[in-house]
Amino acid sequence: MKFFARTLAIFAAATYFSVLAPSLPAQSLDPSAILHPAPDTWPTYHGDYSGRRHSALTQITPQNVGNLTLAWVFQTDQNAAIKSSPLLVDGILYFTVPDNIWAIDARSGHMLWHYNKPTEEGDHIGQRGVAMYKGWLYFLSPDGHLTCLNAKNGSVRWTVQVADVSKGYWTTMAPLVVRNHVIIGVSGDMDNLMGYLRSIDPETGETQWQWNSTPPAGTPNSTTGGMTWITGTYDPELNLLYWGTGNPTPVLNGKPRPGDDLYTCSIVALDPDTGKLAWGFSVSPHDTHDWDAVETPVLVDGDFHGKPHKMLMQASRNGYFFVLDRTNGKSLLTVPFGPVNWSLGVDKDGHPIPNPEKEPAPDGRLIAPDEGGLTNFRSPSFDPKTGLFIVDAHPSYSIYFAKPADGSYGWAGADYGLWGKGVIEAIDYQTGKIRWSHDVGSGGSGAGVLTTDSGLTFTGDAHGNVLALDTRTGKTLWHAGAGAPMYSSPISYELDGRQYIMTSSGGVLFAWALPEAYSKQSPAR
Amino acid sequence: MKKLCTVTLLVAAVWSISSATGARAQAGNAEGAQSYAKHCAICHGDHREGDLPGFPPLLDVSRQMNDQQIATLIQTGKGRMPAFPKLPQQELTALLRFLHSDDLSAAAQGSGGASNSAEAGRHLFQRNCAFCHGRDAAGGETGPDLTRSKLALADVNGDKIGEVVRNGRPEKKMPAFNFSVDEIHSIAAFIHYQQKKAAAHPGGRRGVDVSDLQTGNASAGKQYFFGAGGCSRCHSPTGDLAGIATRLEGLQLEERMLYPRDARSDVTVTLPSGEKISGVLAYRDEFTIGLRDNSGTYHSWPTSRVRYTVDTPAEAHVELFSKYTDEDIHNLMAYLQTLR
Repeated sequence: MKFFARTLAIFAAATYFSVLAPSLPAQSLDPSAILHPAPDTWPTYHGDYSGRRHSALTQITPQNVGNLTLAWVFQTDQNAAIKSSPLLVDGILYFTVPDNIWAIDARSGHMLWHYNKPTEEGDHIGQRGVAMYKGWLYFLSPDGHLTCLNAKNGSVRWTVQVADVSKGYWTTMAPLVVRNHVIIGVSGDMDNLMGYLRSIDPETGETQWQWNSTPPAGTPNSTTGGMTWITGTYDPELNLLYWGTGNPTPVLNGKPRPGDDLYTCSIVALDPDTGKLAWGFSVSPHDTHDWDAVETPVLVDGDFHGKPHKMLMQASRNGYFFVLDRTNGKSLLTVPFGPVNWSLGVDKDGHPIPNPEKEPAPDGRLIAPDEGGLTNFRSPSFDPKTGLFIVDAHPSYSIYFAKPADGSYGWAGADYGLWGKGVIEAIDYQTGKIRWSHDVGSGGSGAGVLTTDSGLTFTGDAHGNVLALDTRTGKTLWHAGAGAPMYSSPISYELDGRQYIMTSSGGVLFAWALPEAYSKQSPAR
Repeated sequence: MKKLCTVTLLVAAVWSISSATGARAQAGNAEGAQSYAKHCAICHGDHREGDLPGFPPLLDVSRQMNDQQIATLIQTGKGRMPAFPKLPQQELTALLRFLHSDDLSAAAQGSGGASNSAEAGRHLFQRNCAFCHGRDAAGGETGPDLTRSKLALADVNGDKIGEVVRNGRPEKKMPAFNFSVDEIHSIAAFIHYQQKKAAAHPGGRRGVDVSDLQTGNASAGKQYFFGAGGCSRCHSPTGDLAGIATRLEGLQLEERMLYPRDARSDVTVTLPSGEKISGVLAYRDEFTIGLRDNSGTYHSWPTSRVRYTVDTPAEAHVELFSKYTDEDIHNLMAYLQTLR
């Protein structure tokens, strides 16, 4: 049997090389390949368009994960923590920290090239990765520029300004490629600025469209803000792009911006070809606590209370878990997933109702969760087999202050975290009930979550341990101390019949796999 | 060396101007610089650097326009530039003289004292610190207002700021940074510049004053302390809290009241042999438990091999979070402030 399999493999390889020789891996990504990512790729920030961060790979199982070991590590020798999700295309990984891109061989971890262009301007808070279109990479620098580079050697093809750093914008996010659109979002809530999402032509760098989340700064009685700093998701059938928007500005002072402050702290559905809004759903109407609703809008097709639905799920920074019908933006479920004390409940359309008594005040208000939120930039994962939405949560309390002297520009108040901890929570999406929770330490963890089809959940704790949990129960099956907490979300891929789990801690990238003896025993897929 | 050269050049430049225009110009510079800081700096920058494309730099304006042209522009305005028709003649003259000078240190005095070092520090600060501490160092996402920080105010040339920057504050999630001594100096210089600037503009600052936290009722707070709050189960106004209001005030007191971050936990570990070892909890994750015994020695064990109990009195504060009203907190704060 083994002999037969090997013969078959040789035969297949021979066919591949003789017949398909021209299509040898070419360091190139056809945008249509993102629709059905191959197991030996991770072609976008979230790995696919759904944002589920669920890998179909099954070589590493709850039974054998105890043997997981290092395949290789890559040291960036930088202070900046890796916050990016690497892309994997044609056996090469591309990942970033601010001002830096590395291309490394996914088999060995050795470096092919390194792009390093220090920028003076802009917030260097993080960089979440590149996007790829054909043979080109797209990279946002802190100074609000989008650079297109040749994936083969990191040489620059063009650079365009996409946000004005002198006004207070900066850029960190990983662009999303949909057909011939490179979708980019912006950051900047230190100033009263309009938020927007922009589509760029991958060949020329020209703007194709721009959708503004808020009116221009200076519009009376109107909000600014609504930054778009985490990569969204896409439904090819509906041809809709889903994106979360950030908090309104001024941040802690809601008085100059009465009403719901649309479309800040919202989930929006846009036409990727025109940027036209199909629908918007306000996750935090009239936010005064900096709770960006940029967390991944996860797309799931399945039953909701017995009926098939095209759903969108978000565990939001404001402490609520939302399930929407993504065809029309109507609410299916809104329920808190941890301590939340700022609302008067949920209205008939599924929007939390902010309690005016819990707006920041001169003598302080005790608020749960804290400004970092019940979750944040770190990605959650949806496991289809168990129907669990797994999120790295942060139960927490804080005090919020604002007084007239704090003004109505930028932060316009002050808030102080008091206490918090990290808990990995498995939410039943039909009810919002928490099936299991797993403490990951005081303060909280910045680690995202990956689930696999074999029933494993990969994440990290507050101390720097990488964890493999049993998706059904939340029990720890494997761990390794990585020396620093994880501020990224794990990914998985398969190369040469070997499944890898990739994590980062501090400035180090780790590739984990079973000992080679295991992968040789098990079939390639 | 480079810095020394710059300083020398600057001194030389200042000397040449002052020697050329005499003592009157020097005196005039202060008035002109103040006028510039008041009317022009908001658009043209604290150091006349401008903000392109909208606001042109004025560093070389006297090479493009003569005094009469500049004066007319100031008095009548142009495009989006507002007119200043009511500027007193004396101030206008001083401002024109100031715009002639290359003396950036005069501009800096007018706006609070930014040195070259502070300017270098500004860039470093914007890149590395601004997200948490705000672009103006007056507080941002998560990080405290450094213009009011006692430590930052007490700092001289980075001696205190440097220590925090180099080591981080892991308990508050502040990362450590590998900056050179020069870089630390420049960041400290920028923070000090921002402190001066903030002090010169009272009222516009973010943060919490002691006077903000006086809305509670002390006797209701006392009742809560001995009653519903259950505070008296662990604390006593004549014991551990005696004189607390003389040691802590304002926000510091309130934060400590709500959750004492650095409160210690005690742990007792029972080894497989039955032997018990107690000490102060030093480390705990899912897999390892560590303690410091009373000689200061660190010990650790795999959690799978021992049994242990941790006593964390501060947990009682966490349990209160979901029970407090804001009024309870303000009352309790009023009561604690009577313990002098």
